[in-house]
Amino acid sequence: MHFDELIGHLGQHTVDGLSKGAIYALIALGYTLVYGVLRLINFAHSEVFMVGTFAVLGLWTAFGVKNNPPIGQAVLFLVLGLIAAAIASGGTALAIERIAYRPLRRKNAPPLIFLITAIGISLVLVEVFGLLLPDVAGGALPTLFGRARQIVGMPTIIQQETLLQIGNTAITNIQLIVFVSAVVMMALLDWFINRTRYGRGVRAVAQNPETAALMGVNQERVIMLIFMLGGIMAGAAALLWSMRFGFTQNSIGFVLGLKAFTAAVLGGIGNLRGALVGGLFLGIVEVYGATLFASNWEDVIAFVVLIVVLMFRPTGLLGESLGRARA
Amino acid sequence: MALLELDNVSVSYGRIEALHGISLTVNEGEVVALIGANGAGKTTTMRAISGIRTLSQGRISFNGEDISRLRADLRVVRGLCQSPEGRQIFPGMTVLENLDMGAYTRRDSAGVAADLDRVLTLFPRLAERRKQAGGTLSGGEQQMLAVGRALMSRPKLLLLDEPSMGLAPMVIRQIFDIITEINQQQGITILLVEQNAQQALSRAHRGYVLETGRIVKEGSGQDLLTDPAVKEAYLGVS
Repeated sequence: MHFDELIGHLGQHTVDGLSKGAIYALIALGYTLVYGVLRLINFAHSEVFMVGTFAVLGLWTAFGVKNNPPIGQAVLFLVLGLIAAAIASGGTALAIERIAYRPLRRKNAPPLIFLITAIGISLVLVEVFGLLLPDVAGGALPTLFGRARQIVGMPTIIQQETLLQIGNTAITNIQLIVFVSAVVMMALLDWFINRTRYGRGVRAVAQNPETAALMGVNQERVIMLIFMLGGIMAGAAALLWSMRFGFTQNSIGFVLGLKAFTAAVLGGIGNLRGALVGGLFLGIVEVYGATLFASNWEDVIAFVVLIVVLMFRPTGLLGESLGRARA
Repeated sequence: MALLELDNVSVSYGRIEALHGISLTVNEGEVVALIGANGAGKTTTMRAISGIRTLSQGRISFNGEDISRLRADLRVVRGLCQSPEGRQIFPGMTVLENLDMGAYTRRDSAGVAADLDRVLTLFPRLAERRKQAGGTLSGGEQQMLAVGRALMSRPKLLLLDEPSMGLAPMVIRQIFDIITEINQQQGITILLVEQNAQQALSRAHRGYVLETGRIVKEGSGQDLLTDPAVKEAYLGVS
């Protein structure tokens, strides 16, 4: 146990935890949106994120991006990366809904069938990207057979450096970008759901689908909208991940998706602000835990905390709702 | 002219048929009451009209158009709006947001604002509670909200499913006064489903009696009120 280290550098560990948790929170929104409207855990959402990282990788590879480009180019590549990831992830999420879930909904399939389908799609995407991976990285045409799955590095777009030093707490430029952009994306989503007409339609379907239809809300359109929005948020997370960690892999979504799902449940699944709270909370707990014990304990600690929190607050930290309380 | 016409409509839940080929018409400007006991198929009829239930047989036309296969949300656009059984307020939305949901399909913001004023004048209680969450209102207030919300779509035909359910006698009278006012002042056609046959028939131009999925009687509100069989079965008089 390294209490002295944790207490001595509490500020630093908190900052590290927040910037880690911000990525969890962005991905968690996808789980929470879909659950809030359909009562479905979309386990394929981890692969929606994974596809986003590959879009970033593909774009940067296509442009021949080198390490540490000049600042103007760096900004351009980040913005283009965000657009590419948002389109790829949003499109993937939408495709999953249209190809897999919608036909099941039409047939009134029981919830278990949706769950198995979600896991199946997740595996298919992981395997397909594992087969394609080395060639995307090399920029050659994809070869579908006999390729290994390996970690692919990405160029460093922004060199990590300390931006702010407060006491013994250092905040890096990358941490700041990750945290601020994640919060901005979430604020935009929150505004959209709570303040716009389409957002009101989403909340109506979440609260009472049948009455929403009686008010003229097209439920299928709302469902497409939430998959797309969740996908866009996962795309943003994919860009931030690529910028901060600089690598991806076909199986990258698995643990990250599980963490984000945990964050959504911690905050109260179906609750947008809960995803933010849960994500940041999980990030901080992981970093604290890794400091107290050892870094390879962080996953153990994360899931123990999930179980403990749910024992005392079964509906999560903020409770279950989309936008606002469900009576 | 018939605004709504049900022609030999049947609806099934799985293998069980709940409506066995019912036919009814609602003419423009009328208040029509559909009365019957619990489980007679009143709510099923309403759900078939608003498109929540698909028909196993028959045809529904509205304003001269066959809407039998039209999606529920598009029927709202055509001018058909329902205040559902049990009120079904959106609990997490404020009174104003609930009313806005009624105007979901409309794009004429000036017209919506005018209708909002009209609804809040019609139901002053809602105006007092406009910022309150719908789930915190009393039963009577929720009923007013459900009717007001349906009015916000500016319907040609207003469908009211059990507007008196679970309300105190005083509040029931108040709700029916408002229903009459909506019909007479705003010229909105109303189809009303009720267990409270006395109130419903005394306010309606015409009525239908539904028994186990079949229409067994029809006539003017007054005729049905004085019909001995109706009296015995639905008005608690013998």
